[in-house]
Amino acid sequence: MRMAIQGIGITGSFGSGVASFRAALQTGSDRSALAVDDSPRYRAGIEGLDEFIPKRALRRIDHFSRMTLLGACQALKDADLLAADRSRIGVAIASGYGALNTTFNFLDSYLDFGYSCSSPTHFSNSVHNAAAAHVSIQLKTTAPSLTVTQFEMSVPSALLSAQQWLAEGRVDQVLFGAVDESCEVLNYCREQFFGAGEKGPLRPFAFSEQSAVAGEGAVFFVLTRADHGANYGYVDEVILGNHLVCPLNLPQDDLFIIGADGHKECGSFYAELLNGRAAAAYAPLYGSFPAAAGFDLAAAAVSLGDRTLYASSDPVSSGVTSAIAPQKLDQGQLACLKFGSGGDYGLIRLSN
Amino acid sequence: MGTSAPIAITGMGCLSGAGMNLPESLQSMFRNQRYPHSPRRFSTDHPVSYPVLELRDEFKLPLDNQETVYARTSQLALAAALEALADAGWTAESLRGKRVGVCIGTTVGCSLNCDDFYRAFKANGAAGNPDMGIIQRFLRSNPSAVIARQLKLDGPKQTVVNACSSGTEAIGIGASWLKAGACDIVIAGGADELARVTYAGFSSLMISDTEPCKPFDLERKGLNLGEGAGILILESAAVRESKKARGYLLGYGSASDAHHLTAPHPDGTGLKRALTEAFTSAAVTPEMISFINAHGTGTPDNDRVECRVMNEILPGVPFVSTKGYTGHTLGAAGGIEAAFTVACLQRGELPASIGFATADPELAATPVTENTPVSGEIALSESLAFGGNNGVLIFSRGDA
Repeated sequence: MRMAIQGIGITGSFGSGVASFRAALQTGSDRSALAVDDSPRYRAGIEGLDEFIPKRALRRIDHFSRMTLLGACQALKDADLLAADRSRIGVAIASGYGALNTTFNFLDSYLDFGYSCSSPTHFSNSVHNAAAAHVSIQLKTTAPSLTVTQFEMSVPSALLSAQQWLAEGRVDQVLFGAVDESCEVLNYCREQFFGAGEKGPLRPFAFSEQSAVAGEGAVFFVLTRADHGANYGYVDEVILGNHLVCPLNLPQDDLFIIGADGHKECGSFYAELLNGRAAAAYAPLYGSFPAAAGFDLAAAAVSLGDRTLYASSDPVSSGVTSAIAPQKLDQGQLACLKFGSGGDYGLIRLSN
Repeated sequence: MGTSAPIAITGMGCLSGAGMNLPESLQSMFRNQRYPHSPRRFSTDHPVSYPVLELRDEFKLPLDNQETVYARTSQLALAAALEALADAGWTAESLRGKRVGVCIGTTVGCSLNCDDFYRAFKANGAAGNPDMGIIQRFLRSNPSAVIARQLKLDGPKQTVVNACSSGTEAIGIGASWLKAGACDIVIAGGADELARVTYAGFSSLMISDTEPCKPFDLERKGLNLGEGAGILILESAAVRESKKARGYLLGYGSASDAHHLTAPHPDGTGLKRALTEAFTSAAVTPEMISFINAHGTGTPDNDRVECRVMNEILPGVPFVSTKGYTGHTLGAAGGIEAAFTVACLQRGELPASIGFATADPELAATPVTENTPVSGEIALSESLAFGGNNGVLIFSRGDA
């Protein structure tokens, strides 16, 4: 079933809001990666959240859930639904790792002070669906709520469920989001696994090189059935599979935004599948993290809304696949292609 | 939302502290036996020891190299999936070429709460020499991905992390894939291992009982944690052909309380909405329900709210909490209890709700106190969760 994209909320290292994201797409700048302890990281802020949620209500809400709330509120505002009845708005959130910092804060509480001093606040906020719960509590959304964790495939997998909710008439709108946060422990692990590759710059088309740089952020979409038009185009189809079990054949006429984010393990799949076809990639604008597939989807939605496919932020060609030239999108079809480990893929096809 | 055709359940697998497979679990329950004890797989310095329900030591994980390849949660999921597939007459080879989806609920199975690793990391990062193999194992162990990888499946995969309703939601979502024609077969359910982190977490919330739990009892003090997995095989009519079904999934509903992070809404608003949605999608009325597999954790809040809603919407319908036998298996609970619900419909009998002895005057109903014949063809299983998630599944008796 076709889904219409009616609103977007987003926070990343480029700033927050669609205007900031669009500006980043237009300039193609990767200067948003900040040096932290001699390594670049893409960090996201929560500026503007107090426009929607009173500070008092945020006291025990962690950074992960604050990014979530900011993205969700912005998306509702963008869709002109802030004042609407929210009893039939479903909430579906995709995250590769959940609230990592709170998870480790909880471990700190008992490793530092003994098990009898374990923090109930950190524990309850470390549960994966805590961010979705904060959305439903603060925004009074009482329809179904779902949190999905499937590493790099979290976004297409959760999107499949959002699509089903709308198709079955269980909800009228879905607040669909993707969130991940930067974390010292995760960054340590990435450095152990990838070494100097984490030093940047992130080069998505250098498929055979490890150039990923950790990022974080939240992006939300208001999705509806396709009955009454769309502000940002339509999601036509969500396809999940494993290329090694059953090879993927790419649609011939689509333009592709690829989720290549500097991970060598996945790069070979993009090289093989695209086989010389030009594609766009925007990971240098927001970094490498599982939920970044949602940022790819936002790039597609903004492109469809603007009827312009913006230039890739890394113009360096791999020699196999090149960065696509900026172009008008009058009737074209876009597809977001994301590969995970072991050949798992998600293909999200969109049109305007 | 509209109604839809029943989804056939052709196989079930289940392992928990009650037994290492579904028949053994049912045997324990109908003998009214349970096996709580202190945790054997980890230790803490907590001054209080809370009983848990673990799998017996002789349980062998399905892969030869045991927990070095995949985390225990994924191994439990895989073991239950293999039992369920065998029950349905499928082998890994016979699934080739079929569109098979995997939808699994969990909590621990997706949390990077590897405290052995983190303890070493805290002891000065690289100099602490943390075992990166623990992280690599975590990254390999997404439960639905493990099942798909081991069985070489190509369909959609989803790991649902809706806290304690995850398993229930996963089954409902898996059924929606079949209805949409996205799959021919779905392997759906929940899995969770017992972990020191959740043990510490629930003790910090002061909702663990120091004795074997007593769901719906006047003296209930909280839950006992457990571990396990429960998996159903859902099949489309085209694939099933003439194969008999152990039961049918008639309907599914879910809704949010929008109230509190860890406590249910005092009026059970989300649970009521989930029940209403499930009844509508199943095209059944509350009068047609023969029994309820309640969430019944044994915490004062959960049992009070759940009892209030059951008494309001399903007055007089017999109900049981099976968590006295299995403990609260968190993300696995919905899968395990779905398997129990279908098995009890098939058997025509409900086990006694172990741990219940004294009625609470604040609760308007009491669970079944002895093994009870089931008079009817339809039953429901409900799950309440942190975050205010509520999930309901409605099943009917099969023809197998």
